[in-house]
Amino acid sequence: MPSGKAKAILPYAALLAGAAYLYHDAGSFAASAKAGQLGPDFWPRAVLVLLMIVCAIEVARHAFFARAASPAEPGAAAEDEGPRYPRLLAAGMLITALYVPGMDYLGFFVATVAYLAAFMAVGRYRRWGVVAATSVLGSLAFVYVFMKVVYVSLPLGVGPFRLVSTALMSALGIH
Amino acid sequence: MQDVLHQLGLGFLHLGTIPNATALVVGLVVGMLVAVLPGLTLVMGVVLALPFTYGMGVTSSIVLLTAMYLSGTYGGAFTSILFRIPGEPLDVPLLWDGYPMARQGEPARALGWTLLAALFGGLITAVSAVALAVPFAKFALRFDAPEYFAIVLFGLTGVVSLAGGSLTKAVVSLCIGLLLATVGVDETYGTDRYTFGIPILKDGIEYLTVMVGAYGLGEVLTRMEQGFTTPAMEGSREVKTRFPAWREITALKGTIARSSFIGVLCGIVPGAGATVGSFVAYGAEAQYGNRRHLLGTGIPEGIVAPQLASTATVGGHMVPLLALGIPGSGATAVILGAFLLHGVQPGPQIFQTSGDMVYTIFASMFAAVFGMCLLGYFAIRPLIWVLRLPEAVTSAFVALFCFVGAYSARNSLTDLWMIVIFGVVGYLFERYRFPIAPMVLGCILGPVAETQFMTSMIAYQNDPAIFFTRPISGVVMAFTVLALAYPLVRYVRGALRGRSGPGPIDAPAQEAKP
Repeated sequence: MPSGKAKAILPYAALLAGAAYLYHDAGSFAASAKAGQLGPDFWPRAVLVLLMIVCAIEVARHAFFARAASPAEPGAAAEDEGPRYPRLLAAGMLITALYVPGMDYLGFFVATVAYLAAFMAVGRYRRWGVVAATSVLGSLAFVYVFMKVVYVSLPLGVGPFRLVSTALMSALGIH
Repeated sequence: MQDVLHQLGLGFLHLGTIPNATALVVGLVVGMLVAVLPGLTLVMGVVLALPFTYGMGVTSSIVLLTAMYLSGTYGGAFTSILFRIPGEPLDVPLLWDGYPMARQGEPARALGWTLLAALFGGLITAVSAVALAVPFAKFALRFDAPEYFAIVLFGLTGVVSLAGGSLTKAVVSLCIGLLLATVGVDETYGTDRYTFGIPILKDGIEYLTVMVGAYGLGEVLTRMEQGFTTPAMEGSREVKTRFPAWREITALKGTIARSSFIGVLCGIVPGAGATVGSFVAYGAEAQYGNRRHLLGTGIPEGIVAPQLASTATVGGHMVPLLALGIPGSGATAVILGAFLLHGVQPGPQIFQTSGDMVYTIFASMFAAVFGMCLLGYFAIRPLIWVLRLPEAVTSAFVALFCFVGAYSARNSLTDLWMIVIFGVVGYLFERYRFPIAPMVLGCILGPVAETQFMTSMIAYQNDPAIFFTRPISGVVMAFTVLALAYPLVRYVRGALRGRSGPGPIDAPAQEAKP
């Protein structure tokens, strides 16, 4: 099978498989249905049937009828829109995913300074003075606005990082 | 009529309170900023502003978001006309004549026409919202569960059939949204659905995390993959606006009338939002305008038609949102989310139970129109200073807003993981050109649709024919069938005309993001 076709089919095939699994899983909560009434499985199963039909149509269309991937098709997605940088994307996703546990461990302020600086660096911005200043000042502004004005309890971190967070809160007049 | 004017007057008084007036001004400024920045879409901006409304009153929240929505339909005109960079998809038709006029040495005149069109469109949209909402709501008082289900279904299919580049992709997106809405404890039976033993999923998936992740972080990741290549614009210092003469305005009365009608209509029809309105109005001008042969060369008609129509859709969207609780676009879905977050369910009863709030919102629309025009005339120069910020810096802060906004809802790190997950989903949707709006609407309207469907089935002995045999729901279901059939008919007609092989089933326009 040509790789263009495979790329076009892949998202729909994956969705079809996922939908089939969820359809099967819906059987586990069908038991609580009352006699003569539609059960809690009816609605999700109806949606899944629609999803599976659409995916099956698209898989069949791409497998048997489409001659070549057109720009509007998934496999040919956006290839006409200029260069792409998958490594940047991977690095961006990685630091974004690390930010969540980082916030819990380092506290909001330290984690956010690190995240903003890393994000700008990954985004190929190289004026380090601006990176440092915007990261620190931006994080301070967020801490102040959300903790002092909006009253959101942002994570403080653990161990020494907790001390940093509480010291910062005292300095900003947040109690 | 007198009662409506009286209520509207009271609405203006309520709008004068400090929280509401502040929300209005902030909404106008932020909406304009969001529309000016090419990387930020209007819906994304409204989504990012939503968490900030938790601590506000419901009226102030809706005033803020509506002002953002309204001014967002205008702000993007500046980058379209001056730099040929549309801040929003709805600004694309604007650059076809706006940019040539600016290149001919008349950028101030082009901006003057834009401002005038936004003013007319805004006033027309505010008047139409006030005039249509109450009759809509009175009519809706006759509705029962089958009618509500039919209308929700029509709203969903309208968004699918009109708002997507490909019908099948829009249906897939909608189904994913509807499925996300089923996660958690089922309302009718109290059964766990798709929780997979994870306690936090019993509460369901917050539609806020879906919206913020898919729209906000998804767009950031998409732009990161493109290498943040949008250049900073240094020429933003020489921005002026010059109004056209009265004689020139009256010469465009046909354009103004046509575009106003198209804008309001596109607002009321679910899915046909500001982007569709903008394109359709430009198309109508190309078909019926007196100087249609000159379109594209930099004539005022090509600026007024899309700008007026896109701004005029806002009030149209507010009518079904307030009177029926049905959002017809991404932005109104977020506004519905704000209502629900504050425990207010829009619908026909809202005019009786929260009349003050509704008329304050209407009053804010009138005030927002003048506010955004004043802002556009006097303060646009400092506002578009943000165009000089590097994209990597603004994107870093957008990502941060996504996280903090989602965390503020429940103070839960799980919601942050949801943001990451839906950010990746949003990126994949963008990458493979699946529209996000149907997923978001499915997520918000899914529980309503399911509840009304199940209630109808319980009340009418599992007879699905009830949706077709009751007069109102029957008519709405007929419209639903037509909305679904329209792209199919287009597809078949295209195939018969000898297209080069069967392509995807196309809908007429791009995704109507706002």
